[in-house]
Amino acid sequence: MSKNGDHEELKTLAEDYLRGRIDRRRFLLLAGAAGFSVPLLGRLIRPAEAANPDLLPSDPISPYEAPITKQRVAFLKTKPFKGVTINFMAVKATVGDCVKYHAPHWEELTGGRVNVAEVPIETLHTQIFADLASGLGRYDAYQTACWFYGDYFVPKEPYIVPLAPYLADARYSYWNPDDWLAPMRKLYEWNGQVYGSLFDGDCQALYFRNDVFTNKDVQAKFKQKTGYDLPVPPKTMQQMHDLAGFFTGWDWNGDGGKDWGISLHAKVNEQGFFHFLTLAAPYVISPENKYFYFNPETMKPLINSEGHLRALEDYVKFLANGPREEIAWTLGQGWNLFLEGHAAMEPTWGDLPTLAQDPKASKVRGKMGGAPIPGTTEAFNPIAGAWKKYEFNQVGNVNGGTWHPVLSRFSKKKEATYDFMAFMANRKNAFFNSTQGWTGVQPGMKWEYLPPAGTSTIAEWEAQGWDAADTVQYLDAYYANLTMPLQEEYLRIPGAAEYWHELDINISAVLAGQLKPKDALDRTADSWEKVTDRYGRPRQKALYQASFT
Amino acid sequence: MAGRAGRRRGGDEGGWFKYAMLLPAVAWVVAFTFFPLISVLHFSFASYVLGQGITGYVGLQNYFNVLTSGEFWHSIAITAAYVAVAVPLEVVAGFLLAWLVSLGAPGSRVFRSILGAPLFTMGVAIGYLGVTLYTDQGGPITGVLSWLGIHIPWFSTGWGGILAAIILDVWRWTPFIFLIALAAIGSIPASIYEAAMLDAGSHWQIMLRLAVPLAWPVMTVAILLRVIEALKVFGLPFALTSGGPGTSTQVFSIADYLTTIQFFDFGKGSAMGIVFLILVSAIITFFFRQMRRNID
Repeated sequence: MSKNGDHEELKTLAEDYLRGRIDRRRFLLLAGAAGFSVPLLGRLIRPAEAANPDLLPSDPISPYEAPITKQRVAFLKTKPFKGVTINFMAVKATVGDCVKYHAPHWEELTGGRVNVAEVPIETLHTQIFADLASGLGRYDAYQTACWFYGDYFVPKEPYIVPLAPYLADARYSYWNPDDWLAPMRKLYEWNGQVYGSLFDGDCQALYFRNDVFTNKDVQAKFKQKTGYDLPVPPKTMQQMHDLAGFFTGWDWNGDGGKDWGISLHAKVNEQGFFHFLTLAAPYVISPENKYFYFNPETMKPLINSEGHLRALEDYVKFLANGPREEIAWTLGQGWNLFLEGHAAMEPTWGDLPTLAQDPKASKVRGKMGGAPIPGTTEAFNPIAGAWKKYEFNQVGNVNGGTWHPVLSRFSKKKEATYDFMAFMANRKNAFFNSTQGWTGVQPGMKWEYLPPAGTSTIAEWEAQGWDAADTVQYLDAYYANLTMPLQEEYLRIPGAAEYWHELDINISAVLAGQLKPKDALDRTADSWEKVTDRYGRPRQKALYQASFT
Repeated sequence: MAGRAGRRRGGDEGGWFKYAMLLPAVAWVVAFTFFPLISVLHFSFASYVLGQGITGYVGLQNYFNVLTSGEFWHSIAITAAYVAVAVPLEVVAGFLLAWLVSLGAPGSRVFRSILGAPLFTMGVAIGYLGVTLYTDQGGPITGVLSWLGIHIPWFSTGWGGILAAIILDVWRWTPFIFLIALAAIGSIPASIYEAAMLDAGSHWQIMLRLAVPLAWPVMTVAILLRVIEALKVFGLPFALTSGGPGTSTQVFSIADYLTTIQFFDFGKGSAMGIVFLILVSAIITFFFRQMRRNID
């Protein structure tokens, strides 16, 4: 271990193993033969798990869990939740289907029963908080979006309970919050305590047609039109605009019809505003400013700043590079355009590359490119009220629902409910979730990424039906985004759904030509002021500041 | 006096039994009309925050906020436009179809059954059906129109969205008018038609000069019911456009739903409901008086 050669040898072996070129047995054999100790190798393979002497790689008692603790093996033998029925409110969408998929497995192991009530996304917030605010507490757990979090903490006693006591109990299904990537973990916490169990890990990245972007003829055409080499991937917003314009209006996929530069979706109430939030981040967030929504000292909205305005004006320009109707498209409609091979780029969630792996629904398997959202060379600091030039200003994000279960304080079956939540968070199930398109789940844990960032292997992803090249593009883009030093803040204060709704409808009005960008953002700011006053400005301010800790 | 005494005697007939018979109806009205109305009135003077309940009473502030809110009046204008276009189209189409069927047009029996189907379908279901019918990604309506060289931006413009919703509303509710009109036309004695046939030159003239005036008392009730229903429209436009793009298809019910149910602003949402109730009551009262005058 003292010689550089040893380091290199170990590094090469580890990379071969983690990239799936050699299996676990051969890695241990070769590395052991080279003089490295088995405990060291074990830590390299799964650091957190290797440190836990009670953790077994798997056990026949639970074919659905891996790893599993010795205490849990004993616990499951008792069928601990026989006769217990829990009620789980889930989103009527892919992530809800995923909950339904796991329910019978958990029932088989524990003897318990899960009633999964599916609620459409547009009424989910209402249903959850009607159940909680009325004190009915008919549900033991809710599949929540992260922007609901502030609302759970409005009452003196929060509506949801921290998971620490359950996490400390080895009888429950094993998962480890330390495995989260830092920005993802923050979404599952409030004031430093974990309230949600691992499920989803959303962020928006830029997905593009790698096969088309790297085509020599296309590259020559692009250079002829713009005067510079086609950037793979685009680094700046300007390059992204150039690419969107370049790929619009001609048949670059060879099917005889005209194709598009970019696919977006912008129907109101369908999460389309996340596109704007994502693309606007590098216009506002910079090394000098981390605030996107409010001035933390006054709670005055920043949304109508010059930076936001320029971002919105640029966002509108993208519209000309996609079908006009996309302003009324749902998320799935936006994805379809890309999956059918008619769009060159789409800034969206990881569902897109995941769905692209299904040959029945996709014509782009093996053709995916992925990258973090492009940056800018100038950003506006809305607190200081000034623009500043940067060599390159790029911002990561965790935009999206990051849908996951939280445990109701009204639940009378907290143990069983947590056990089901933990069961879905167990590595075997969580990895399955994030590799399947139909689950709507994306990776948020370190072990889901490829080395050197994480410990999963291409072989593991290929075993779930992934194309090797797509896997690398997807995971590298996702990881780069989530670990970027600058991150866009995520709005989690009470009323977040209402703040975002006001932004959503006003952006939609701009895209439909009913409002000018400046008017739309001013209106949004006015509405936000009213929402803040209604919830109480001092309290909102305190919670906004707390949401950064 | 005799008349009054007689009425009083009549009023005593039945004793407690008639009150017992009335009790379910009274209980229903108290539970589902009176109590909610009082509750809405109560909330309309309060400030409500999710998780904290009523945090204080604000007098007429919620009403002031509603009456000075551009969004509220915008939703009223959208609703009024919706009703003003959809209901007359349904009345005209429903009556014409009923007239054609009453003339014994070929296939009218089958047509009568088919026409009634949308009436029994949920507005939300029709809204979602509309999404698939109008979509530019293989929607049949858009496909046929494109084939004819017509491109209507159904969901990417405000007027396109409201037009799409009105077309579906007309499709759904025309059968309602049709069924009532068919009954009204059928109730006119055949002898009157026979006499009219001798004087009038065409079925068109008989319809305009005979069937319409004679069916009008019944039709006014149908129109009134449709106006009330159309003012409350929610499921169809909500499923079809979610009120967008922007707020261009945000009828009153959607605006009130978002305020009250989605964002838990019970104070403002209740005030919106009360203001709308007053507006609608005034319109309906005026409309009803006009109709009665016409009938008289």
